[in-house]
Amino acid sequence: MKARAEALPTQEMLINMGPQHPSTHGVLRVILRTDGEVVVNARPDVGYLHRALEKIGERVTYAQFMPFTDRLDYLASMNCNAAWAWTVEKLAGIEVPERAEYIRVIVCELNRISSHLIAFGSFTADMGAFTPFLYAIRERERINDLFEDICGNRLTYNYVRIGGVSADLPDRFLEKTKEFLDYFEPKIPEYNKLISYNKIFVHRLANVAAISGGEAVAYGLTGPNLRGSGVSFDLRRSEPYSVYPKLDFDVCVGTGERGTVGDCFDRYMVRINEMRESVKILRQAIAQIPGGPVMAKVPRAFKPPVGEVYFRAENPRGETGIYLISDGTVNPYRLKLRAPSFVTMNIFEKVTKGLMIADIVAVIGSFDIILPEIDR
Amino acid sequence: MGLKGYLHDIWEAVATTAKGMRITARYGVDPRETITLQYPEERWEPSERFRGFLHNDIKRCTSCTMCVKVCPVDCISLESVRGADKKLVLASYDINIGRCMYCGLCVEVCPPKSLTHTSGYEKATVTRGELILHFVPEDAEEIKARVAKQVAEAAAKAEAEKSAKAEAPPMGWPAPVFAAGNPGAGADAEKKPAQEPKGEPANREEPPKEGGEKAE
Amino acid sequence: MMESLAVSLVNAVPALSGVPLWTMTLLVMVVVAAVVLTFALLYAGLATYVERKVAGDIQARIGPNRVGPLGLLQFLADGIKLLLKEDIIPAKADRFLFALAPYLVFIGSFAAFVVVPFGVGLIASDLNIGVYYVMAISSLVVVGVMLAGWSSNNKWALLGGMRAAAQIVSYEVPVGMALLPAVLIAGSLSLQDIVRSQGGLLGIFGWNLFHNPFTFVSFFLYYTAALAETNRTPFDIPEAESELVSGYHVEYSGIRFAFFFLAEYGDMFVVSALATACFLGGWHVPFLDAEALPVAWGNLFSLGVFLAKALGLVLLMMWIRWTLPRLRVDQLMRMSWKYLVPITFFNLLGVSLWLLVFHGKGIPRMIASLFG
Repeated sequence: MKARAEALPTQEMLINMGPQHPSTHGVLRVILRTDGEVVVNARPDVGYLHRALEKIGERVTYAQFMPFTDRLDYLASMNCNAAWAWTVEKLAGIEVPERAEYIRVIVCELNRISSHLIAFGSFTADMGAFTPFLYAIRERERINDLFEDICGNRLTYNYVRIGGVSADLPDRFLEKTKEFLDYFEPKIPEYNKLISYNKIFVHRLANVAAISGGEAVAYGLTGPNLRGSGVSFDLRRSEPYSVYPKLDFDVCVGTGERGTVGDCFDRYMVRINEMRESVKILRQAIAQIPGGPVMAKVPRAFKPPVGEVYFRAENPRGETGIYLISDGTVNPYRLKLRAPSFVTMNIFEKVTKGLMIADIVAVIGSFDIILPEIDR
Repeated sequence: MGLKGYLHDIWEAVATTAKGMRITARYGVDPRETITLQYPEERWEPSERFRGFLHNDIKRCTSCTMCVKVCPVDCISLESVRGADKKLVLASYDINIGRCMYCGLCVEVCPPKSLTHTSGYEKATVTRGELILHFVPEDAEEIKARVAKQVAEAAAKAEAEKSAKAEAPPMGWPAPVFAAGNPGAGADAEKKPAQEPKGEPANREEPPKEGGEKAE
Repeated sequence: MMESLAVSLVNAVPALSGVPLWTMTLLVMVVVAAVVLTFALLYAGLATYVERKVAGDIQARIGPNRVGPLGLLQFLADGIKLLLKEDIIPAKADRFLFALAPYLVFIGSFAAFVVVPFGVGLIASDLNIGVYYVMAISSLVVVGVMLAGWSSNNKWALLGGMRAAAQIVSYEVPVGMALLPAVLIAGSLSLQDIVRSQGGLLGIFGWNLFHNPFTFVSFFLYYTAALAETNRTPFDIPEAESELVSGYHVEYSGIRFAFFFLAEYGDMFVVSALATACFLGGWHVPFLDAEALPVAWGNLFSLGVFLAKALGLVLLMMWIRWTLPRLRVDQLMRMSWKYLVPITFFNLLGVSLWLLVFHGKGIPRMIASLFG
C-alpha cells in the first residue's frame, strides 16, 4: 500500500478562498495550501476593504469622525459610536449626564444582541443550515426598528455624541424594548433546540480549532473568542466603564461543553449565552434609567486639551481600543484603532493547520470576524 | 466507544434532528409566522426620526455654510452671493445623495432648521448625475453668467458714477457685489470679494450639467 | 409489454391494421417515453417551485409569488431565463467533457423513471431486474458529476467532483443493502412484483414497512442513504455552497446548469419512488384493491396514491434540507462505513433469518392469522 502511494506522486494544491467567497464574511482572502481536503496551511490575506479610517480620523474633527465609527464595525455601530465618545470624553474630561450613559448602555447591549444574532445566523448558514440565519435576521429586524425609532437609521446609527447622545429616547421606546425582550428571550432556547445541540452541528464544531486559554491571551484574542477559551475577561467587568458597575451580569466563558475548552463550539455558545446576559443587562438598565438631560455642554468648535488617551470598550467582537493623541486643535493628531477582528486573524494560521476545508469555514465563522474592522 | 455509545450516538442524531424538524415544521405550517412585507405594495411606516434624503427649504436657508463645514464627506455644495443688504443669497445648493452617508450631522447643526431629512428612500437612477439634488431651481451656470454680467455692469457703473450707491436689486436678484461661497474655504471665502465668480467653482463634484434634474 | 400494447392498439383501431407491428411498437415506445419525460420535467419544474415555497414557509418568508397565481409559473420563468442565458464554457476547460457531463447526469437521473411503477399497469417498462437497473443507471450520475468537476478546470469544482465520487460510491452500498429486504420478501427484482407482494390486509399492513422490525429500520436506513446519494442536505457536500461555492457545477451556466438542477430533483423523485415501491406498498390504495377495479379507475387511483406517497417523501426531503446543517466530508464517510453499512448488513441478516424462521410471514399477517 505504501509503495503504491509513493509511486503515485501527489502534490499540494493552492486554492484561493476569497475575496469572493460565500463564507469569508465579506472580502477576506485565505490562501489555502491543501493536500486534497486537508489544509496544510491557510494564510489570511487582509486589506481588501482598507479605507484608511485612521487617516480620515486625523483629517476630520472629533464630531465628524462619529459617522466613520459606524463603518468600523457596521454590525455594532452603536458600540463603536459609544467607544469613540467615551475616548474623547476621557481625553477632554467631559462629564456625561447619567441618563445619557444609561441610554448608551441600552443601545450598546441591544446592538450586542443584534451583532451576536448575525454571528449566530451567519455561522449556522456557513455550516449549511440556512433557516436559523433567517430567524436571526427576523429578530434583528426588530432591533433595527427600535434603532430607527431612536436615531432614524437602521444600520449606521451615528446616535451617540461626544458628551451624550444626539436625542432623548422617543416615546414608548423603553416599553417597546421591553416588548422585544419578552419576545426575544424564549427564542434563545429555541435556537438551542433547533441548531445548537443538533448532532451534526455539534460534530462539526466540537474539538475543532481549540485554543487554550494561555494561547488565546498570548495571541491577543479578546471578547467572546477569548472567553470561549475559558478566560473570564470582560472589560465591562474587569475594567468597568460607563454605568456597567451598577449592573449585574455574568461573564460567559467556554466550558468545553461538547469537546475541548476553546473549540469552535465554545466560542459559539459564549455568544448565545451573552445574548441572554445582554437581555438581563437591558432589563436592569430599563428599570434604573434616571431622568434628566442627555447632552453635556460641549462647545461646537470642540478642542480637547493637548494629551493622549487610550480607551478600550467591550464590543461584540472583543476589545475595541482607541488611541488618540490630541495637539489641541479641532482634529486629532494621531488616531489608532485597535480592532479585535484584526488581532484575531493572527491566530488563524496557527489553529487551521491540519484541519479540513470545511473546518476553515467553521473557524472563520466561530471567530465572528468582520472585514471593515480587519481592514479599517 | 462500545455498543452503548454507538447506539447513543444514533439516538442522539435522530432525536436532535426530530427536535429541529418540529420547530421548522411549526414555522412552516403557521401562517402567522410569515413576516415578509410585500414591498412595493406594502410599506412600513418610517419612524419620525427617519433619516431619508435631505431636503433644504431654500426660503429659510441663510447660506451660513454650517452644513457644508460639518459634512464629513463633502456631499453638500453651496454657492451664495452677497446682496445689497449685505445678506447672503443662495445661488445654488446641491446635495450629492450618492455620496451622502445619512449621518444627520448637517441637520443637527442647521441654525434656521431649513435642512431636514425627508422620509424618502427610493431613488434608483440611470446616471450618477441624477443623484445630485439641486435645490435652487435656476441653472447655476445661468446664474453665474448673469452674476458676472451684473458684476461687470455694476463695476462699470460704479466707475462712471462714483457717487451712486448700490441700486435697488432687479427682480429679486440683488445686484451682486461679489459672489462667494465655497464649501472648502467657508467663511473666509465669503469675506473675500471674488472678482471672478466664474473662476471659483463652488461645486466640487462638478455635477454633469446635462443630467441634472431639479429636485422636488 | 410494448408489443402487447401495440397489438391491443391495432386490435382497438382497425384502421391501423395495415401498419407493420414493429412500427407500431416503436411508435408506442416513443409515445410512452415522451409521456414519462414530460412528467419528469413537469415534476422537476414544480418541485423547484415547491422547494422554494417550503423554504419560504419554514423561514417565515413567503417564497415565489409574483409569476402567475401564487407564483406557480415561477419555474417556467426560471426555465426560460436559463434557456436564454449565455452558455459559458471556461477557456481552459475540457470542452468536450464539459459539454458531455450535464447530459450524463441528466440521463442517469431520468432514465430511472422508466421502471418506476406509477400504477397497476402504469409502468414504462417492467424490467425483471428493476431494482438493479435503477442502481446501475443512477450510478451514471456520479460519472457525470466527476466529469463536470474535472473538466471545469476549477479547483473548487474538482474538489466537489471528488467529494461526489467518494460519497456516491460509498452510499451505493447501504442503498443497495437497504433495498434487499424488499427484494427478499417479494422474491423478485421487478419493482412491479415487489409492489404486488405488499397487497392485502387493508392495504397498509401489507406494506414491507410493517413486515417486521428489520424492514421498518431498513426503510429509514434506505431513506437516509438515498438522501446522501441525491446530494441533498445534510449530505450535500459536493455542492456545499458555503464551502465549495457550489461545487462541481460552479462553472456551469444557462441550460447546462439547468440539467444539473433538474437531475437533482429527478433523483429525489426516483429515490422516493423506490422507497415507496419497496417499503410503502407502492401504488396499493388503502382499503381498496386497485387491481380488482376497472382498468381505468384502478390505474387512476393507484397513480394518485403512488404519487402522493412518493411526493410526500420528496416533501420530507425538502423539510430536512431546510432544517439540518451539513456534515463534513470525513464525517459523511464515517457515517456510511461505520453506521449505515454495518447496520444495513445486520438488517439484511435479520430479514433473511426472519423469512427463514417464519416462512416469509410478516408480523401483521401473523396477527391476522391469529384472529383467523
